[in-house]
Amino acid sequence: MLKRGYLQISFGWMFAIIVGIFILFLAIFLATRIISTEEASLDATTTKKIEILLNPLETSFGEEKTNTLTLPSGTRINNKCDNGGSFGNQWISISQKVFGKYSETGVNVNFENKYIFSDEYVEGKKFYLHSRTFEIPFKVADLIFLTSEEYCFLDVPEEIINGIPLQDNIITDREKCQPKSIMVCFAGGSNCDITVNYGRGYVEKNNERLYFSGNLLYGAIFSSPEIYECQIKRLMQRTQHLALLYYDKSYFISEKCQTDFKEDLLALGNDAKTFEDSSDLDRIYLLSETILEKNERGECQLW
Amino acid sequence: MVKNKKAQLKIQQMAFMLIAVTLFFVLIGLFITGIVFSGLKKSSEVLEEENAMLLVSELSNSPEFSCGEAFRYGKTNCVDSDKIMILRNMNEYADFWDVAAIEIRKIYPAYERETECSEENYPDCNVMEIYSKSVKKGAYNSNFVSLCRKEKNAETGEIYDKCELAKLLVSYEQK
Repeated sequence: MLKRGYLQISFGWMFAIIVGIFILFLAIFLATRIISTEEASLDATTTKKIEILLNPLETSFGEEKTNTLTLPSGTRINNKCDNGGSFGNQWISISQKVFGKYSETGVNVNFENKYIFSDEYVEGKKFYLHSRTFEIPFKVADLIFLTSEEYCFLDVPEEIINGIPLQDNIITDREKCQPKSIMVCFAGGSNCDITVNYGRGYVEKNNERLYFSGNLLYGAIFSSPEIYECQIKRLMQRTQHLALLYYDKSYFISEKCQTDFKEDLLALGNDAKTFEDSSDLDRIYLLSETILEKNERGECQLW
Repeated sequence: MVKNKKAQLKIQQMAFMLIAVTLFFVLIGLFITGIVFSGLKKSSEVLEEENAMLLVSELSNSPEFSCGEAFRYGKTNCVDSDKIMILRNMNEYADFWDVAAIEIRKIYPAYERETECSEENYPDCNVMEIYSKSVKKGAYNSNFVSLCRKEKNAETGEIYDKCELAKLLVSYEQK
């Protein structure tokens, strides 16, 4: 009798192996899903905590605040912005470094009342937060500048040298600048990553020109052009509503005191509504100066 | 024939056993997921509460509330009550602060009963509801503020600042 070599496995064994493999795969699949859910939940919690930590950065008149945020592991804070709805949205999400790679959780937290100026993402363990008021001519919001890299400010004009944010990652002494620092030149020169033309009110980075006025200078320096333009548009969305609020207030208190710039407030609201990009800032600032003057000399100040 | 039947019975036993084991693990998985998600719900609520707590202490500085320099001395924790009367009709702000409710209650001078402010009774009222979402609300977090407005002296026609003590209250959504 011819005997052929074959593996003799009973049906019972075969069945047990197949089902065993199925159970093993199911267990592995569930474990991976639980790990990724946990990762996503941790990222979402940290993102929400960052949002909450931004609340104390709200400033009162003429104030500025600086804070640092230190996270236990390498983290990337992703900053996104859109102009949908009445006030636009500020989106942030975080990715933590796992085995040298940033996780992609896709959990975004959005809020309407914050304006974060930064690159599309900022990474590291220590983050610097600095907030300043944006007024046009009334306070519109607090601008939050988020950075982690080192910036070297060269040839800063006298009139703003005392106003540079006091934080460890901003150096104004050329001697102390590191080669890997981001070079911000106020008087031109070579090896500049960012060039500021303070007199003409614009910042040049990534071959794009971003116009600024007042505290927006730091927004233009620290943000990517897309984020900067989007946040300015959001600020204008809020300006529009605040102009309307002050316009209504001027009528509300008209029995007690009169204001002679109701129409200017309407015009400011309309200008803010039709705002396209930072090159329109000049037009708005011009009108805001007229309004400021009228408000200051009025019988009652509206703000 | 008898041997064959015994084998069939063993296979059946094993199949039932494997199904039971699978079901057991699935149940454990469901149990763990339940615990994890209930923890998540709790932590999201804690975060919302924390947000409301920090927000209430800073809200009076936001431009929609703050007195700015409209009153004689630039004050912190000062709310412009004339602005609030306008703000409560602006529906665009419903989701702006991401909380369930914001209101202001006058504390001093004390009122005999609760009177909600409206265009008709302002400023003789003590509760200003800025907005309130129709959701289940958590406990209110509060902060003392001065609630200021412009007043005109009926006799002399002089305009003066009138400030009262109030509480700014913020509630979060309970999930």
